[in-house]
Amino acid sequence: MNNETMNNERRKVAIVPCSGIGKTYGTVSREAAYDVTEDLRPEATQLVALSLLVLGDEAARAAVADCPAVTIDGCKLACATKMVRESGGTVAQDFAVLDVYRRHKQFKPQGIAELNEGGQKLAHALAEEVVAVVDNLTPDPSPERRGEKEGGHDA
Amino acid sequence: MPEFLETTVDKFTFKVATDRHYSGEGVWAQADGARVRIGLSDFLQQRSGDVAFAEVRPEGTALAFGDEAAVIETIKVNISLTSPVAGKVVEVNPVMATAPEAINKDSYGEGWLAVIEAANWEADRARLLDPQAYFELMKGRAEEEVRQ
Repeated sequence: MNNETMNNERRKVAIVPCSGIGKTYGTVSREAAYDVTEDLRPEATQLVALSLLVLGDEAARAAVADCPAVTIDGCKLACATKMVRESGGTVAQDFAVLDVYRRHKQFKPQGIAELNEGGQKLAHALAEEVVAVVDNLTPDPSPERRGEKEGGHDA
Repeated sequence: MPEFLETTVDKFTFKVATDRHYSGEGVWAQADGARVRIGLSDFLQQRSGDVAFAEVRPEGTALAFGDEAAVIETIKVNISLTSPVAGKVVEVNPVMATAPEAINKDSYGEGWLAVIEAANWEADRARLLDPQAYFELMKGRAEEEVRQ
């Protein structure tokens, strides 16, 4: 394993969703981010709150400055993408909830504090798209990510 | 390029193109002979939000004045848009199927909805608002919404 690979292993992708409160698409962006960072790729990602970047929080700024970021914006103002860049970070991929919805018309999101079933499915579809980007950014995936079962691989 | 009447209400600037007529709900109609192109006013598109999908009645559809010509789904609402002209749909903007955000980007240009072969454009035009009248109506609505 060379130094570059070791460094890459230590780098967690920063997932930065929209902070829009009271907006359905903002909620979809956050649900997708939770899905990625808590369930799908917890070992490879870290959730960074947009509000902390806005406030200039040093740890949040360091997280996006040191690692590639995937942003998820709830509207065309694209606050997440803009704030990552203004914080010195690199946006590896930016997602817009509306674009994802256009690809999954059957998942119409509704609700704010609680998403309807369509919104939850849209959030998961978005999360899967984010995961594909994360997997490209982070080498040496875990056995689970390679589709292998734990203990099922003989040397 | 059309000329515009323009007003700023709160932090929003709204434009009304002066080379066409408008229904009260904010659907514009621009005639070229009997062929009348229709679309959304700038105020209507801004008020409605980012467009996710636009379904326009297909070519060949016969419309009466006030019939549903299109349905727009935005991040905020679903809107049924009524036709400002009676006639037959002869052309649908293909962009609506692939990139309906054109409505938000250029509502008076690339974001047009359809062309209707008018049955009696002169009669329909008399029922629509001229640019100045629509501008005053739109401005009043915008100011009212800010007050609320």
